[in-house]
Amino acid sequence: MSNLLVQALVNGVIIGLLYLLMAVGFTLVFGVMRIVNFAHGQFYMVGAFATYVLMAHWEWPFLAAMLGAFVVTAAVGWVVEWVVLKPFRHDELNGMIATIGVAMILQSAALLVFGPDSQIMPQVAEGVFRLGSAIVPASRLYVAVCSVIILACLYVFLIHTRQGKALRAAVQDMEIAMAQGVRAKFMYPLGFSIGVGLAAIAGALMAPLFSVSPFIGSTPLLKAFIVVILGGLGSIPGAALASLLLGIIESVASSFISNSVAEILIFVLVMAILVVRPAGLLGKAEA
Amino acid sequence: MNMSKTVLPPMSHEAAPALIRGSAAARPPKAAALGLLAVLVGLPFLMNQAFSYHLAIFICINAIIVMSLSLLARAGQISLCHGALVGVGAYVSVACVKGLQWPFLAGVAAAMLAAACVAYLLGRIVLRLQGVYFVLITFAFSELVRLVLLEWVGLTGGANGITNIPAASIAGFVFSDKPAFYALAALVMLAVLAFFWFFYASPAGEAVDAVGENPALAESSGIGVRRTQLYAFTLASAFAGLGGALLAHYLRYISPESFNMHYSVALIIMMVVGGRKFLLGGLIGALVMTPLPELFRGAVETQDIFYGVALILMLHFMPQGLASVRLHRKQRKTP
Amino acid sequence: MNRMLKVLLPAALMLPGAVLAQDTLKIGALVTLSGAGAAWGQALLYGAELAADDVNAQGGLEVGGKKYKIEVIPYDDKYQSAEAVTAANRLVSDDKVKYIIGPMGSAPALAVQPLTEREKIIIMTLGFTNKALSPEKPYSFRPNLTTEETSYPIIAWLVERFNLKKVGGLFPNDESGQQIAGDLGKAYKQAGAELSSKEFFERQRVDMVPLLTRMLSAGIDAIELDGNSPATAGMIVRQARELGFTGPIVRNGGPATPEIVAVAGKAATEGMMVTSLQDPDNKEVAQYAQRYAEKYNKKMNGFSPAFYDGTHMLFKAMQNAGTVTDTTKVRDALEQLKDYHGIQGVLNWSGKERYGINHQVASPFFISEVKDGQEVTVARCTLEKCVDIKK
Repeated sequence: MSNLLVQALVNGVIIGLLYLLMAVGFTLVFGVMRIVNFAHGQFYMVGAFATYVLMAHWEWPFLAAMLGAFVVTAAVGWVVEWVVLKPFRHDELNGMIATIGVAMILQSAALLVFGPDSQIMPQVAEGVFRLGSAIVPASRLYVAVCSVIILACLYVFLIHTRQGKALRAAVQDMEIAMAQGVRAKFMYPLGFSIGVGLAAIAGALMAPLFSVSPFIGSTPLLKAFIVVILGGLGSIPGAALASLLLGIIESVASSFISNSVAEILIFVLVMAILVVRPAGLLGKAEA
Repeated sequence: MNMSKTVLPPMSHEAAPALIRGSAAARPPKAAALGLLAVLVGLPFLMNQAFSYHLAIFICINAIIVMSLSLLARAGQISLCHGALVGVGAYVSVACVKGLQWPFLAGVAAAMLAAACVAYLLGRIVLRLQGVYFVLITFAFSELVRLVLLEWVGLTGGANGITNIPAASIAGFVFSDKPAFYALAALVMLAVLAFFWFFYASPAGEAVDAVGENPALAESSGIGVRRTQLYAFTLASAFAGLGGALLAHYLRYISPESFNMHYSVALIIMMVVGGRKFLLGGLIGALVMTPLPELFRGAVETQDIFYGVALILMLHFMPQGLASVRLHRKQRKTP
Repeated sequence: MNRMLKVLLPAALMLPGAVLAQDTLKIGALVTLSGAGAAWGQALLYGAELAADDVNAQGGLEVGGKKYKIEVIPYDDKYQSAEAVTAANRLVSDDKVKYIIGPMGSAPALAVQPLTEREKIIIMTLGFTNKALSPEKPYSFRPNLTTEETSYPIIAWLVERFNLKKVGGLFPNDESGQQIAGDLGKAYKQAGAELSSKEFFERQRVDMVPLLTRMLSAGIDAIELDGNSPATAGMIVRQARELGFTGPIVRNGGPATPEIVAVAGKAATEGMMVTSLQDPDNKEVAQYAQRYAEKYNKKMNGFSPAFYDGTHMLFKAMQNAGTVTDTTKVRDALEQLKDYHGIQGVLNWSGKERYGINHQVASPFFISEVKDGQEVTVARCTLEKCVDIKK
C-alpha cells in the first residue's frame, strides 16, 4: 500500500509541475489584462504544433524548436492582442468572449491545416529512473526539470528586469503603475504575448509526452482554470502552490478510488475551498 | 474605485437608468413592434416546412433560455453553467414524466423548481464572488454537473442518454408533431417575454438593473447586492429549467453531452449578439445565431472560423448587440 | 431582411437540384466532421463517396432501366444529438433524401432514429450501442462489427492462449466507452476470466499514469486497449511499460497498430495482440486504402471499408428492388442479400439473437500479433470462434 502511495505522490508532484507550466501564463494574462483568456489552451496547441513542424519538417533539435515555438506564439499573441483585444482592455466580459472567438479560429485553422489525427513526435528521453520504490519515466522527469528552469527564468525576468518589474507593477495596480510612468500600451501586448508564449512552451514540452493534435488545448485550459481559481487570479506563487496541490490530490485520489469519482471530488473540493477562501489560497482579496 | 473590476462595460451617461423607483413604469409596447413580432411568430406557419418549424422551435427555446441568462447579466454576473442548469431541468422533467408518470405540466413545474433550487443553493455559497471569479466557479460547476450526469447511470442513463421520452401533452392533447409543438413553444416564449416586460418595470426588476449598473451605489441606497443577485440567479435558473423541459420533450432524447460547456458558451454568444440590456435581445440573439450554423453547414471545416471572426467583428463594432441598432431605443428602459 | 435571405438562399440553391432530380440520387452522410470524432466521420463519408465514385464512373447507378448519378450530401453533427437531429431534419425535408450513411455516434444515432424510422429512411449507422438495432427499427442497419460481435470469440481465444484471470482496461467516459466496457466485461466472464479493473477517463485525457498505477497495484494479468483512439492506446501502452508492466497487452476493436507502435515504440509493443477488421494480406483492402490516400491525402481509417461495402450493398439492394424511391422494397432487398462479396470478404446479415433483427453485418475478422512493429495474422475468426491459422 505504501508503495502505491509513494508512486502516487511522485506522479502527483511531476504532473503538478506540468500543470504549473500550463497555468502560469494564464494567470499572468489575467493579472495584467483582467481577461480570462479562453484561447489559452489553443495557444498551448499552437506551441505544440510549431514545435512539431520545426522538428519534423525543418529538423531542428528539440530545445531550439521549443524556443522557436515560444517566439512564434508570442508574436502571434502580440498581433492578436493588438488587433482583436485592444478595444476590450477595460472590458472584461467582452474581452473574454473575444478570446472565445480567437480560440475557435485557432482550433479550426489547425484542423484545416493538419487534420484531426494526432501527430506523433519522437521522445526526447528514453528509459526510467527509480526513486526508491517509485518509478519516474525519464521523459517526464525531463519535462519537470525544464518546467522548473523555465519558471526560474520567469522569476528572474519578473524580479530583476525593468520590463518585468513594470509588468508586476501593472499586475498589482494598473492605474498607479501608469501614474509611475509604466506605458500601458506596451504592457498589455507584452503581458499577453509572454502569457501565451508560456502556454506555447508548455505545449512544446509536452508534445513528445502526449502527442499533438488540434484538440489538445481543452485540458490545459481546464487545468489552468482550476489552478488559478485555487491559487488566486494573478498570483504566481498561488498558482505554484495550487498546481502542486492539484497534481498530488488528483494523483493520489485516482490511484486509490475510481477515476470518475475522483474527478467529481476534485471539483467539489475546489468549490469547498472557495467557500472558505473566496480569493483563492494566495489571491488578493477583491473589493 | 477600480472600474476595471466590474464585469459589465461602463455605461455612457445617456444610458444610465433611473435609480429612482417607479419612474420607469411599463409603457405599453408600440403597435409596430407588436406587429413585427406577430409576423415573425407567424412566419413558420406560412412557410409550413418541417425544417422551418424545427428551427423555429429551437429559436423559441433558445430565446427563453437566453432571456433568463440576460436577467443574471443585468444583475451584474455572467454564468458559464447556464447550460448545465438547462440540463438539470431537462433530466428532472424526464424523470418525473417518464419515470414517475406525472403529467407534462407537473414535470415542467418540477423542472423549474429543481433548477431554481440548485441555483439557489449554489448562489448562496458562491455569489459572494464578483465578476470573473463567479464566471470561473460556474465553469467548475458546469463540469461537475456534466460528470455527475455521466456517472449516475442509474438515474440518467449515463452517456447513452434517455430515449423514448414521451411527447408533451396538456389535457389530453399530445404535441407530437412539429406545428403543434411550435405553437406551444411560441406561446411559452411570448409568455416569458411578457413576464420580463412587466418584471423589468417592477421594483424587483429595477433593483436588478440598479445592482448591475452600480453595485456600490445600489448597496448604499438599501438594495442588497448579494440578495438581489441571488434572486436573479434563482429566477433565471427557473426559466433555464423551463427551457430544458421543453427541449427534452421536443427532441425526446437527452444525453449529458448536450448540456456541456459548449452549449453554455453558445448561450453567452447569443446573449451578447442580441444585446443583454434589451428585452428583445434574447429573442434577437436566438433568431440570428440558431439558424447561422445551417447557412454554413456546407462549408463544414471552415464554419467555425467564420463563426469566430463574425463574433469578434460583432464585439468590435456592435458591442451592445444587435438590439441596440434595431430597436431605436423604443424598448429600452431609459426615460 | 436577414430572415428573408435565410429563406431565399437555400431555396435558390435547391433550384438547380430540382431540375436534375430526375437523374440524381441523393444520399445523405450524417457524420461527425469536426472535433475528435472527425477521423471516424471522414471514414464513413469517404467510404460512401468512393462507392459513389465507382458507380458514377460507369455512368451512374442503373436501377429499373434508368441511370442515376449518385450525390453524397455531407452534414456535420459535431457529435451532438441536437445537431444530428437538426441535420437529419434538413436532410429529410430540405434535401429529400431517403438514405443516410451515419450517424456515427451512439447518442446521435438514437436521437435521429425516431425521425428516420417514421419517415422510412434507411440508415447505415456506426453507433456502437446495442439499442441502435431492434425489430422496432426496421430501417436501421449497421454495416460494421462492434465489440458485441467480435469480443466473444476473440476473448475466448486470448484467455486460453495466455491463461488470463484478471484483466484491466481504461475506457473513455462516453457512450461507446461505457458500452464497450460492458460488452468486454461480459465476454471475459463468459470465457472464464474477469475484467477486474475498469477505469473511465475524460475523452481528451492523455496522462494515464495514476489510473495505470492503481490498476497495476490491484494486480492484473493483461491490459485491454479496446475503446480507445489509436493515439490514446499508444499512450497507455507506453505509460504502462514505463511503469514496469510486462504482461500481455491486447486490443479488441478497430485497427490502430501503426499509431500505437509510433507512440510506444517497437520494444513496448512486441507481442501485442490486436484485432484486425481486415486481413493484412487482403489485396482489395490494400488497394482501397491506396485509392483513399490518393484522393483524400489522408491515411485510411479502419472503419472505412465497412462503409464502402455498406454503401455498395445499398446500391445492390436498390438494383435488386428495381426502385430508388420505395424504401420498403429496398429495405427488403437489402435484408435478403446473402454472401455479398465486398472488399472485406464475404458479408452476411445476422444479429437476430442479440438484437431481434438481422441488420448487423457479419464479416470476417482476424487476430494478429505485433512483431517488430508489424502485424502478423495468427488466427481467423467468425462470430462463433477463432481458429489458429496454420502457417
